[in-house]
Amino acid sequence: MGSFAFVKYLRPLFGHQLPRRSVPAALRRKDHPNVQLYCTSKEKRRPEAQSRKSSQREEPAFPKSVFAAGTAKRTADFLKRRAGTGTDPEQAGGLSRDRASFRGEIPERPLSAPEWRKLKESSSSPERFEVRMMALMLAAEADVNIAKSLLAYVAMEKGEVPYMLLLRYLALCVSGGHHSEVLDTYDVMRSCFKALDSGAYSLLIKGFGQTERWREALVMLEEMKKVIMPSPRNYGDAIAGAFLHGDGETGWMLYGELLELRLTPNQDTWQCLFENASTEHQQRHRLADVLTYMRENQVYPEEPLARSIKAWFESLPDEKWRGRFSSVDSSGRCRGCRAELESIELTEEEYAQLRHRVMTHVIEGRDVFNKTTPEELESFKSFVKKSPAFDVIVDGLNVASVSPKGPKSQTLLAVVSELRDQGLNVLVLGRKHMLRPSWNWDRHDIHQIRQRSLCFFTENISEDDPFLLYAALHSGNHCNFVSRDLMRDHKACLPDGATRRLFFKWQRGHQLVVQGYVPGKKVRFQRALRCDTVIQSTGAAWHVPYDEDGAERSTYEVPQRWLCLTKEQQ
Amino acid sequence: MIFLRVRVVGVLRRCCCCSPQASALVKLRNPSLPTSTYPSAVTTSRALSTSWTLRKDAPQPQDVDARHELDLDVWKSVMRSQALQEEKRKDGEDREEESTTEVEGELSPLESSRRLVETWRLAGKLVPENITDEQLETLAELTTKSSKKKFLKYLAIKEGHKKANKEKKERKRAERMAETKEDPELAEGEREEMDGEEEGEPKLKNTYLMQFWSRSMDKLLGWRVAQAMQFGQPLVYDMSYDQHMSRQEMENTVSQLLETEGWNRRAVDPFHLHFCNLQPNGAYHRELLKRYSQETWERLLITATSQRHIDIFPRESLVYLTADSPNVLRTFDYSKVYIVGALVDRSIQTGVSLANAKRLKLATARLPLDEYLHWDSGAKNLTLDQMIRILMTAKETGSWEKALEFVPKRKHTGFHQQRKKDNCLLWW
Repeated sequence: MGSFAFVKYLRPLFGHQLPRRSVPAALRRKDHPNVQLYCTSKEKRRPEAQSRKSSQREEPAFPKSVFAAGTAKRTADFLKRRAGTGTDPEQAGGLSRDRASFRGEIPERPLSAPEWRKLKESSSSPERFEVRMMALMLAAEADVNIAKSLLAYVAMEKGEVPYMLLLRYLALCVSGGHHSEVLDTYDVMRSCFKALDSGAYSLLIKGFGQTERWREALVMLEEMKKVIMPSPRNYGDAIAGAFLHGDGETGWMLYGELLELRLTPNQDTWQCLFENASTEHQQRHRLADVLTYMRENQVYPEEPLARSIKAWFESLPDEKWRGRFSSVDSSGRCRGCRAELESIELTEEEYAQLRHRVMTHVIEGRDVFNKTTPEELESFKSFVKKSPAFDVIVDGLNVASVSPKGPKSQTLLAVVSELRDQGLNVLVLGRKHMLRPSWNWDRHDIHQIRQRSLCFFTENISEDDPFLLYAALHSGNHCNFVSRDLMRDHKACLPDGATRRLFFKWQRGHQLVVQGYVPGKKVRFQRALRCDTVIQSTGAAWHVPYDEDGAERSTYEVPQRWLCLTKEQQ
Repeated sequence: MIFLRVRVVGVLRRCCCCSPQASALVKLRNPSLPTSTYPSAVTTSRALSTSWTLRKDAPQPQDVDARHELDLDVWKSVMRSQALQEEKRKDGEDREEESTTEVEGELSPLESSRRLVETWRLAGKLVPENITDEQLETLAELTTKSSKKKFLKYLAIKEGHKKANKEKKERKRAERMAETKEDPELAEGEREEMDGEEEGEPKLKNTYLMQFWSRSMDKLLGWRVAQAMQFGQPLVYDMSYDQHMSRQEMENTVSQLLETEGWNRRAVDPFHLHFCNLQPNGAYHRELLKRYSQETWERLLITATSQRHIDIFPRESLVYLTADSPNVLRTFDYSKVYIVGALVDRSIQTGVSLANAKRLKLATARLPLDEYLHWDSGAKNLTLDQMIRILMTAKETGSWEKALEFVPKRKHTGFHQQRKKDNCLLWW
């Protein structure tokens, strides 16, 4: 069963066809969607997505991969459950309790001045009474008239209303959608205070965007820029306002400004652009640019945005597009349209660039002494140069601690033997303390490992991961590496986002993770992905990976669901 | 009395005006009212009708709403009128002086930071009352909104502490004045003292104990440190970490250096402190001059050089103390020169001091924390003043148990032997 998975994995390595083994009928996925092709270990649980959705949905191709969306959350939940801590129910109860207590403190109807005075005196902190009351009203989304009565009381008492109170009242009006109040409050604030703060500007941009005076939101955006950089949320509100009132050009101009300032637009901004775009050719170019931006920055749309994209494509009159939600199978083909997706292999220049950058930033960095010493590095470089090209690099220490049972050298020996049996050239990286005989590092095992593979042992105080990356990158594009480490700390040493995304792409295609090994069983690896999970298009099809609603995906994971848009040929 | 009569009459009149609905009139006998003085026509009991409702008290919806509408928007008119008044005042002032028209074009970074701080103060965010130009410049250099907010919060909290201290001092002084006012004898003594101070000579107390001036203590300690500088064991603080620290971390480092110098001075057997790799006009030097003034810095009994520690001491006698080292310091060696890196890493940077030691091929060591303490949670990097107290105690007593008392108690849960003793006691 596992060897079948291996055969599929090894095919790209060799390039010649291995004999097809016959798959037992019991393992055919179509009949038994519950059977997984990987060996089972204790943290087995079907992904919630499958149990929730209907049986028509196909299985995601790589449910157990370390890079699949939701794996980290699942593992964390499992470990938490195993440790016996459960805090979620308490948290949910706490939140609803707060909201109820808010409502209890606020009066039911607008009060007159003497009643407010009485309430103030009976409260616990009279000085902060008004501000606190207004904040409570904002949190509980109270009736705007009650808030107005509070303001009236304050005005009569003191002769003026403080800025803090007006600000919170403005927030209440904007969130409640009371447009006339927003306009009035703005006029009052403008006339009484010479400069407004950034929070007020954000609220006003949002509020004005919904009224007919939406052009003033642009003026406010300009004013805000003098003091502080506007956020993508501000721009999003302004764009939404522009489109709501039919001025598409201004909306696109604001979007261009947003990109120039190198801010990342929010998902609702894009959704607004897609929903309000017409189907003229110029708009199509613009929207294609939006999708290209998302591709280059490796941003994945969420489900509402994916639906808007699908709706827009299907609304194009002259080209008949068809959209469906599907997934990718293990050979890198889209299940919806049977098209092959982009391969995860890097091109030659990308590979060379990555190799150079990893050398300068990850291994040498600001100070080469941080991770190793120059002599050690030189000796390793010459070692790699004079050895034959490797097919697999093994992170010795990481792989050895995969199994909690038994001596570490035994696990390492098992993995190395497995790889050797497939005829691969193996390099094992470790540290010098592994050569010292102890219970964990048996002399006999180490001797056997050294017979089956080439080994390099670094100093005990040096880091071995950079050597792993160096060896893997310098052995050629076919070389994979075995480690459970997600290499996030080394990825963070790279200088810019593009290089980091390149590294991540290379890592997804070349990292092998040992899957739940127990001494005595066969060693299995998680399958590496064949296709690149990024927005891609040929002329006649667009494939967009997206996050499902409620899926919690960490930044080092990629989504499993795709939106497949195909143009029907006339 | 008269008031009561009028009220009773009024009630009766109203009763007559109301539509006579059939109901029971409840007569209340109010025993407190004197009954004899009133004419019999006006009864002393008040007629309370439960079903007849007075027009005044009945809730009439339109009136209430209209009243509330007037009330609710009154704040707008109040604010607007106030604004008009302010404008008139400003116009009046403008006519007197030729005020330059405020063309709201590009603001300078300082101006924009100032405006940001002022508007945030109005909006109620945690922002200091007074802010200097230097602080505004650092604020302008910060790029993101959250970093600006954090910096302002730090300044506001610092200001809050100062204000609280000042208020506390004022309160204490007021209490003391109140106390002395109560006690006239003490007041006499106080007044005499105050007179004495005005004259410029402190009043001598009638005692057989000679006053020990702090000057004498300083002189004693100074001589001891001077002796240590000639004959004592050197201890090096390596100041080559300018590039690794932010402004705040640099301030923290210098605070810790101030403390180490103080602890060293007051020790029984001080070290000869060296601040090596101290670049003149570098970040460390500027900050040290700011904290110590120029004169104090020059009079300080330490050796501050821009040379490297390798050039001053022979290589075999140098040992770099760093938490990342694999070697453990078992005994305090009196012939070695220990080096401590003057680095505060709130942003965790592992291996930086070890990298320095590796580059110069020096021996390294780390304190025997795991051998003597049950570590709980916390970084094994200790602050500079904790380091010097540990080293001083180790030098004096030679026992690590006493020396490692200075490791913060929150980081560990007791010494090894202590835990064993506690367990034995429990078994009993």
